Amino acid sequence: MIGLVDANNFYVSCERVFNPALEGKPVGVMSNNDGCVIARSAEMKALEIPMGTPSFQLQGLRRRGEIHLLSSNYELYGDMSARLAQLLRDACPDVAPYSIDEMFIYLDGFSNAQCQALGEVVRRRVRRYLGLPVCVGLAPTHTLAKLANHVAKQQPHYQGVCLLTANSPTTMALLKQLPVNDVWGVGRRLAERLAVSGIRTAWQLRECDPKQLRKRFSVVLARTVLELRGTSCLAMNALEAPRQRIMTSRSFGQATGVKAQLHAALRRHAQRSAEKLRQQKSLTRAVLLFLNTNRHRKDQPQLSPSAMIPLASPSDDTRIILEAVREGLEQMYRPGFQFIKAGVMLLDLVDAQQYQLSLLQPSHKAHPHLMNTVDAINQRMGQGTIRFGMTEAEAPWQLRCAHRSNRYTTCWDELMEAGTHPGAIAAARAKREQQRLARAQRLAQPRA
Amino acid sequence: MMPSQPASSETATFTTSALTTSTFPTTMVATALPLTSRPLPFPTLYGRAGFSGFPSPAQDYEPRTLDLNERLIKHPNHTFYLTAAGDSMEGWGIFEGDLLVVDRSIPPRLGHILVAMFEEEVLIKRYALYQGTPHLCSAHPHYPPLPLAETNCQLWGVVRAVVHEYLP
Repeated sequence: MIGLVDANNFYVSCERVFNPALEGKPVGVMSNNDGCVIARSAEMKALEIPMGTPSFQLQGLRRRGEIHLLSSNYELYGDMSARLAQLLRDACPDVAPYSIDEMFIYLDGFSNAQCQALGEVVRRRVRRYLGLPVCVGLAPTHTLAKLANHVAKQQPHYQGVCLLTANSPTTMALLKQLPVNDVWGVGRRLAERLAVSGIRTAWQLRECDPKQLRKRFSVVLARTVLELRGTSCLAMNALEAPRQRIMTSRSFGQATGVKAQLHAALRRHAQRSAEKLRQQKSLTRAVLLFLNTNRHRKDQPQLSPSAMIPLASPSDDTRIILEAVREGLEQMYRPGFQFIKAGVMLLDLVDAQQYQLSLLQPSHKAHPHLMNTVDAINQRMGQGTIRFGMTEAEAPWQLRCAHRSNRYTTCWDELMEAGTHPGAIAAARAKREQQRLARAQRLAQPRA
Repeated sequence: MMPSQPASSETATFTTSALTTSTFPTTMVATALPLTSRPLPFPTLYGRAGFSGFPSPAQDYEPRTLDLNERLIKHPNHTFYLTAAGDSMEGWGIFEGDLLVVDRSIPPRLGHILVAMFEEEVLIKRYALYQGTPHLCSAHPHYPPLPLAETNCQLWGVVRAVVHEYLP
């Protein structure tokens, strides 16, 4: 049996663990840069505010106190996700995190009843020990587990844990109701093509001949059919394969056309990309840079330049990648444009261990310890403790995150407060504020 | 670690050993706690008698430096840190600004000090019987016990330890 543990409204649930005032209220979490809504509580969904609603459209509701909108607090979500994975590792033989809020658990050799019991234990523990509500879907394959999880979430009488066997009448009934684009791995485009052949439900897909699908569509779809029938054929390592390219890009808080500022933003993205590169133990052969102007501003001149800089030899050294960034910006920069987004992509990656050294090229491991040390320090002391070059603190390209909650689990100065009696937290805050004001006044007075 | 009472013998031993190792000044105590659920560091220092080749007599004893994490945190994955605000738990050794080590995986029992969500507020209270029924109690005459029956109260975690720092 394979299980999928999926947190309900993960970002909102993380926020609620540390802020009880959000319980039972409509809460939304905004994307990077406070652009649009990317996570909604059940109450927010009930207000029919769709996913991806631009934040500025909701400012009225927020000001009237009808909804809560928060900036995304990825440090908090990342830490809670790591805790969730560890909790599952303690309870199950094998765990594979699939995304920040979805984890597969592998329960080979367990009976169905044992799986069901374990699913209930896991759900209870996550709720109790971490404060997060999760649903568990159990089934013989990844695709069916995903479906079982969907059912556990939608249908309250399962109480958050749903076990589906491949040939049970329940599974059959569910598949007959399920539109084909709700099946894992079937996108909207593919669903449209399938509809032309008369395949509209998951059940119809399951009844297709995989060999024919393989010819007409793809191997992946043929595998999906087998998965729906209960034959597991998505290997776990397929989920874990190192990425072939690494991309870091962000929209700016405010558009800018100043070359030095664009350079600073690109440098920061390059440093982050290089860190990810070393984490998966790869080397990059080329660096791709790009800038975008705001395409919604029809009144402004538009330009989306990019530059590709091949490296002399594959490398994971931040300094070499930064040199490529400088070269690339020289190539693509044009004055007179207001850019809103910058990105750095590392591509054509090779495995650092398997890479054969060329006799003619300088070794890519000239300073292996330097990069390892930088990564280790940044991991321990917080991202950006050691940087290459200075960045302005209040640069316009920096992220907007005006409504970010505290980093309760990763920052000593931002811990959650607990009062010893009702009103104690508010009183302590007022006292601190008073002290701050008094200090400011003292400093403002000229010395006698 | 109750600052209002004289240090127990255990606390005293701990403090001396921390001082004698001298690589860890006492003010480092709080910053040595892990920020995330990473495995706890247990440095092993095997005794060696220099380069002479003569085996150290301490070799068979495998000394291990004391680690405050190991002592205060039993379940790192389910432990969270909070800051205390208010004066009504001073009788139990919890002062404003103290660091609370809260374990969410401990089942609450009478006598435990709990963090609870009580009517949309985060409270630290002692879980105890008052007039025969469970209440959230303070250690201060100004704040009467809060009855648990018919209130919106949810357990958040059990306070395992309190860290009171004397120096900034």
